[in-house]
Amino acid sequence: MSARPLLVIDTATTHAVIALGAADGSLLEQRRWEAGYRHGEELLARVAGLLADRGVAAQELGGIIVGTGPGAFTGLRVGIATAKGLAHGLQVPIVGLATGAALIRAAAAASGTGAEHLVLVQPAGPSDRVVSRVGQPARILIGGAELPLADDDCLIAVDLAGRAPDDATRLGEAAADGLAAALLATGAARLAAGDADDLARLVPEYVTLPRGVRLDAPDEGVVVSGGKGSGL
Amino acid sequence: MSGPLLLAIESSCDETSIAIVEDGRRIHANIVASQIALHGPTGGIVPEVAARAHLRWIVPVLDEALATAGVTMADVDGVAVTYGPGLAGSLLVGVNFAKTIAWVHGKPLIPVNHLEGHVYAGWLLDPGEAEREEPPFPLIALVVSGGHTFLVEMRDHLDYRYLGGTIDDAAGEAFDKVGRLLGLGYPGGPEISRAADRATAHNRVFPRAWMPGTYDLSFSGLKTAARRIIAQARADAGLPADEREGDLPEAAVAELAWGFQDSVTDVLTRKTIHAAEAVGARGIVLGGGVAANGALRRRISGEAEARGIAMVIPRPGLCTDNGAMIGAAGARRMAAGLRAGLDLDARPSLPLARPVAK
Ligand SMILES: [Zn+2]
Repeated sequence: MSARPLLVIDTATTHAVIALGAADGSLLEQRRWEAGYRHGEELLARVAGLLADRGVAAQELGGIIVGTGPGAFTGLRVGIATAKGLAHGLQVPIVGLATGAALIRAAAAASGTGAEHLVLVQPAGPSDRVVSRVGQPARILIGGAELPLADDDCLIAVDLAGRAPDDATRLGEAAADGLAAALLATGAARLAAGDADDLARLVPEYVTLPRGVRLDAPDEGVVVSGGKGSGL
Repeated sequence: MSGPLLLAIESSCDETSIAIVEDGRRIHANIVASQIALHGPTGGIVPEVAARAHLRWIVPVLDEALATAGVTMADVDGVAVTYGPGLAGSLLVGVNFAKTIAWVHGKPLIPVNHLEGHVYAGWLLDPGEAEREEPPFPLIALVVSGGHTFLVEMRDHLDYRYLGGTIDDAAGEAFDKVGRLLGLGYPGGPEISRAADRATAHNRVFPRAWMPGTYDLSFSGLKTAARRIIAQARADAGLPADEREGDLPEAAVAELAWGFQDSVTDVLTRKTIHAAEAVGARGIVLGGGVAANGALRRRISGEAEARGIAMVIPRPGLCTDNGAMIGAAGARRMAAGLRAGLDLDARPSLPLARPVAK
């Protein structure tokens, strides 16, 4: 197993996070900032700054771990395009992990609650919300639809300040703070097991798409021309 | 040749393309992953789907470009990338990928305007193609595509004087719309061109918007007129008004396609020739997806040649969006000292203007 440090990127929420971790999955340093819609201007410069401050050359990295959402489209595109550029340029493996599941794990760690009772809610556009539970695909809630909650469910609200109960917002902040560590722990374990993702096929999780647009089969409908046809 | 070797990335709309171009002219590789069939069922581009397809294809397209050119990143002297105008989500993918690989490999990053890319396609040489003269200055460039239709004057490299352009729809949009009305597939340009070639009668006259005294263009009135003319043709053929309920006879479709195409071609050609004469242009460069249209190519070439103006029209595959054209423009920008930093961001509404080095 490589002992080289790992880089974590997650741009699915309004607070972008980058982190440097050890190969065993322990967190060395994370940096979070409110990115708004400026991920594109800031992400790579922040990555370069983190590595420089820690005295790590990009070429020393042993793998890239990237959050794949669900979340805001702009951030996810910047994050995944940057992660792909790093993995390709450095010729290191990449692991894409669902941001929602990592936020739930982080909330469970912060609150001591079992993850099976945690329900994550994030905004999806101006009026809809995305609901995630461990082991279930994320679901969209249209407009002001009632959250499907059981009595012992505990709510985690991320990026919904003022639109969710205070304790849910506090747990959401704790989850966001623990996001990098949660991604790192899972990602490092997968990298150590040789379980990297296909760099070409890694794409963001889309929960919200315009009505009538199909989610599946991203490989279909694209025709590649101009090459010698080696391995496409 | 000994000019710089650029890796050039284009992702502004629905084509993921990466090219290797030497000295701003010679193509070593130009890989295009086209999403046309992906967006066919929706009859137009869905931006979210386009951005995800860019993320899906950008790495294999890069690998294919390097393999086809037989080079590695170590051989490359710089990375050029389209940073606008275009769809925000699509641009973000190419810009951030380009920035990252340029940074990792320690190469200069050159930001390129997509529109100047269409102009600079006129400088490109295919692998193995014989050397030929560069387009001569001063020149007039007509860029016509699904998103853009405009005329610029260039007296030197990277020096653009906007003369006029569409005040409403791009010409390519009108082709798409009329293609739909005629029951043809998406995109409309190639379909209308094919149908028009089959026309045996050429007496359908569609209106022309001349916009006198300007180099501006307008296609919305033509679209409205086309709707009316096609509705009348359907009524004459005893068909219901909805184009999905029964097709016009093939001969009628061909005649109508020809009439519409002739209107667009006529206006674009006359405006361009007028501009060229007014500024004393020695050359005309045609670019953009609609420049793949055979009737427009023949008509404008004939008029230019009759006046002794050098006509440059890239082959159709270099008129539609591609990375090589970004490499051609990128080389000129690189020579002018233009570089971008790690903070380069997508600029969806970037205007075409002379770039200024920071
Ligand atoms: Zn274009």
